[in-house]
Parts: sequence; structure tokens; C-alpha cells
Amino acid sequence: MTSNKGKRLAAVVTDGLADNGHSSEPRIDRPTQTRLGDQLRAMYDDLVNQPVPDRFKDLLDRLEKGGAPEKAR
Amino acid sequence: MTPEPAIRDALLAAVPSLRAFAISLCGQVDRADDLVQDTLLRALSHIDRFERGTNLHAWLFTILRNLFHSEYRKRRREVEDPDGSYAGRLKVQPEQGSRLDFEDFRSALAKLPSDQREALLLVGASGFSYEEAATICGCAVGTIKSRVNRARSRLAGMLAVDDADDLGPDSMTRAALQAIG
Repeated sequence: MTSNKGKRLAAVVTDGLADNGHSSEPRIDRPTQTRLGDQLRAMYDDLVNQPVPDRFKDLLDRLEKGGAPEKAR
Repeated sequence: MTPEPAIRDALLAAVPSLRAFAISLCGQVDRADDLVQDTLLRALSHIDRFERGTNLHAWLFTILRNLFHSEYRKRRREVEDPDGSYAGRLKVQPEQGSRLDFEDFRSALAKLPSDQREALLLVGASGFSYEEAATICGCAVGTIKSRVNRARSRLAGMLAVDDADDLGPDSMTRAALQAIG
């Protein structure tokens, strides 16, 4: 199973027939691009969905009350 | 710089996205949170420069990115990742059921040059258009497209190598976990 997966992901198309003028750059095929995009978004969404630390709400609450903002660090 | 409630709410709503971008950029949660805090303070102190009705997210990402480059790249040797130490640090405390599969991907992402990583994160993960990403990075649209293409190609190459390595510890762990069910 894993060997097939590797081959599929390795399908880097290098014919460079891009219509955007950047013909020297390697292009990856659409399925690879889709798979990379899915993985990237899944990883990123995992971060986005993390609970926000209280420090940010506290900071904005403090500022809203007119408290002098302390230097960030 | 007391924020109006609407501004305060909008900033707070942007925090999860800003954190995700910051963590992905610099690879350390503590440092990323400092970066986000600096971004919020900077945004509030320059809120008069924000044009109402334009994209607040893009404006905040621009500030965060500029802060990252001006302050954090001074510590370049810590941040850049010639030997994969970034990847080791980019372990956000995994929550219950957090997916081990991200480790390979994170480690590959960490090996990209930072300009490519940044472009890919903005366009491929944060949902900005090429034009918005170009504005955020202060470069031409074609430059962003080129960086994203190169980032994708490199990632594909790196992950193909990883996937072929059946005996890697990650795949063994995965296999073990799958066996457990």
C-alpha cells in the first residue's frame, strides 16, 4: 500500500508547458496538488481550531477598560 | 488606544487565524503567541491607518508578517531550520486523538525556504488570493505564484521520499496504532 502511495505522490511533471510563462518551473500533477492542499489545510485547521489562550482576551479586555497597554515584551 | 467594541471583537475573532499562521511561520507556540500579541498591539496603535471596509484579516496578516521578519528573523539561526530542529519544536501539544500524520507534513513544510513556506501558507491554507498574498508580502503576484509552485513541488518531492520509507518510525507508529484500532 505504501509503495503505491509513494509513486503516486512522486508524479512530478517536468515538461514545463506552463501557460503562465514560468516554463522553467516544475509543475506537479493535479492529484498531487489536491492531496498536498488537503494535507496542508488539515494541518492548518488543526491549529486554527485550537482554543485561544486567555491572554489575548485579557489583553483586549484590559485595553477596552482603558488600562495602559503594557509593552508586549 | 482603547478599542471600540466592534474592533475588539474583530481582533479577537482574528486571533485563531493569526496564531495558526504565526505557529506555522516560526514553529514555536510561545514565540508565535508573542508575535500575535505584538500584532494586536501594533494594529490597535495604528488602527487609524486601517481603511474601514477593507480586509481586516489581510491587514493583520501584513502586520504579523512584517513583525516576524523585522524582529524574529534577527534570531535567524534559531528560527531557520537547516537540520530539522524547527520540526521538532513544531509540536503543538497534541490533543486527544491528534493525528500523527501531520508530523511528516510539518517536517517537510519546515524544510521549505521561509519565503516559499509563507506564500504557501497564505494561499494554500489561510485562504488568501494570490493578489492578497502579494500585498501581504509586498511583492508581485507572479512572485507569489512562483513561490507557491516551488513550495508544492518541493513538498511533493520530500513527501514522496518519506512515503517510500516504509521503515520510518512514523509509519511504524501509525501501523501500530492502526493495529490497536
